[in-house]
Amino acid sequence: MPLVRRDADDNLPGEERRENQRDRAGLLEQLQDPRPAARRRAAREIAGDATAMDAICNALEIETDAGSRHAMLTALLVTGGERAKARLLQLLRSEDAGLRNGAIEVLQGMPGLAGEYMDGLLSDPDSDVRIFAVNILESLRHQRVPEWLQQVLQNDDHVNVCAAAVDVLTEAGGPECLPALEALPQRFPDEPFVDFAVRTAVRRIQGPGGSHGQ
Amino acid sequence: MTRVLVVDDAQTVRLYHRELLEQDGFQVEEAVNGLEALERLAGTTYDLLLVDVNMPRMDGYTLVRHVRENSSDPGVPVIMVTTEGAATDREQALSAGANLHVVKPVQPEALLLQVRLMSGALS
Amino acid sequence: MGSELRDGVASPGLSGEDFARFREFYYRKTGNWFDEAKRYYVDKRVLARMGITGCDSFREYFVRLRFDADGSELQALINSMTVNETYFFREEYQFQCLVRSMLPEIAGRKRPGDTIRIWSLPCSSGEEVYSLAFYLLEYWPQVDDYDVELIGSDIDTAALDRAREGIYDRRPVHALPEAVLRRYFRRLPDGRHQVLESIRDSVRLTRVNLQDPLETRAYRGFDVVFCRNLLIYFDDAARRRAAETLFDALKPGGYICLGHSEFMSRISSLFRPARFPEAIVYQKPEEADQ
Ligand SMILES: C[S@@+](CC[C@H](N)C(=O)[O-])C[C@H]1O[C@@H](n2cnc3c(N)ncnc32)[C@H](O)[C@@H]1O
Repeated sequence: MPLVRRDADDNLPGEERRENQRDRAGLLEQLQDPRPAARRRAAREIAGDATAMDAICNALEIETDAGSRHAMLTALLVTGGERAKARLLQLLRSEDAGLRNGAIEVLQGMPGLAGEYMDGLLSDPDSDVRIFAVNILESLRHQRVPEWLQQVLQNDDHVNVCAAAVDVLTEAGGPECLPALEALPQRFPDEPFVDFAVRTAVRRIQGPGGSHGQ
Repeated sequence: MTRVLVVDDAQTVRLYHRELLEQDGFQVEEAVNGLEALERLAGTTYDLLLVDVNMPRMDGYTLVRHVRENSSDPGVPVIMVTTEGAATDREQALSAGANLHVVKPVQPEALLLQVRLMSGALS
Repeated sequence: MGSELRDGVASPGLSGEDFARFREFYYRKTGNWFDEAKRYYVDKRVLARMGITGCDSFREYFVRLRFDADGSELQALINSMTVNETYFFREEYQFQCLVRSMLPEIAGRKRPGDTIRIWSLPCSSGEEVYSLAFYLLEYWPQVDDYDVELIGSDIDTAALDRAREGIYDRRPVHALPEAVLRRYFRRLPDGRHQVLESIRDSVRLTRVNLQDPLETRAYRGFDVVFCRNLLIYFDDAARRRAAETLFDALKPGGYICLGHSEFMSRISSLFRPARFPEAIVYQKPEEADQ
């Protein structure tokens, strides 16, 4: 018989459950295990424990295995909270593009969480950090999102930060953003891309048949 | 027709590159992150990839490394587009396997020229 | 319009607060997320469970649900909430891809007599996992050279019971070729079809919650996983977790098939797309450690 059924060879069904649950200290230690699979599993099982956030972030910062990194970021996402948020924001400055973008993704998935940090992020001296802040705004459900984006359009000196804001408004902007958008190309007169992006955003916001005024 | 894959999570950038290149006779396809680019590359080949760095799910460096190390077309020319002109970005782009590194926002004439040269559209 | 409570008084349904608390709880348990549009769907089922358990208020029911020691009320609730819709040979191109492309490649890495393990998760009422059995027996010439283990799992115990019984009416079998229907089913006096006992006996069915890392821990060493039309019900965090679990369940080089509207490129970077003539599937990198 080519199709075989093995009921006895292992403990497949989920019934075994809880007796396997390891203690927290054991899991924390396992985050340093030399085997990536063990680290991955530890991260998955410790998810939800808000007191483990620092340990996970410490492990994450030196993690080289993509799968373990993925599981540690997921644990932060699932658990959330102040500590996770603060540590993730620091990762925006990482030299490692994968880690940086992983942190952005997780922060985007923590709606409402990054809100109170926004003012600080949007005035960070590093323009890349400001771009990441705009990326996070994209999926933040917060009443001040349009206001923040307009501020960027009016005040940020860096063309790529403004361009990122235009991109977000292309999808999420309302009519109240139009004046700030339309004024932007004058701030960067030598950048054809800015002109193009603004025209695209304005067209999307006005919708079909909405080109009144011109 | 010369085919270019534009990989960027910003829709305005993808659209800009599309219009710019299509006007010049290129055929353009888009992907919103590195993984989606790999999905496209699994089924077809392109004459050039135009790749952003910071994207969700898979960043541009990882994408290029993957293309060079284990794809069916490891020699495809790649232009990476980064936000800063910092030396580290340039180094990272080139060491990941990009052939050229340009800084955002792109200057259309200069970019077109590079795309024509590198995709073989001129030959 | 709410459903009727025991005393016959029409209930107005869950309040906004109740709905919010309920969906958080349910999400945490199962990964399934209900948006506002699903409110009526949720109301109807929760009110029905309240009626059956004799709870007069949502608050009372919720306490019972949360402190219910053996988890039986949670299971009953899950069974009523899940969308089990499925049918035989659904998205058949993926089964074709399995026998024409994936399995020949996997077999190339093995020796005759070795085991090939395939997981259908979620298998719902069994149509998918039995489709796999039929497809292998009918269309994979090398099937006799290997030991193939088929395992079907789902969170819904009522669906699993239906799968064990293997009795289907016309609708789920509509896409099956006549020959397959004749060869692998028995026609019951009432006109329904039952999967032959020999097939039912060769498939293992288990209850598992893909969102629970302890429950899924024992699932290892699969060559192929079919995980179709489940991730669409999850939110981003639950999808990421699911991807991690499936990653650990697969052998390096193993394949995963998703439903036609589910794309790994929007979920996780753990897998690499693999294009075959019949379909795009996803592969755990060969070099990935175990
Ligand atoms: C629409 S059916 C898909 C069946 C089959 N794979 C197909 O594509 O036809 C979805 C199934 O997912 C199951 N399910 C929902 N949440 C689950 C979870 N957390 N773990 C395992 N199964 C789950 C439901 O019980 C349901 O049977």
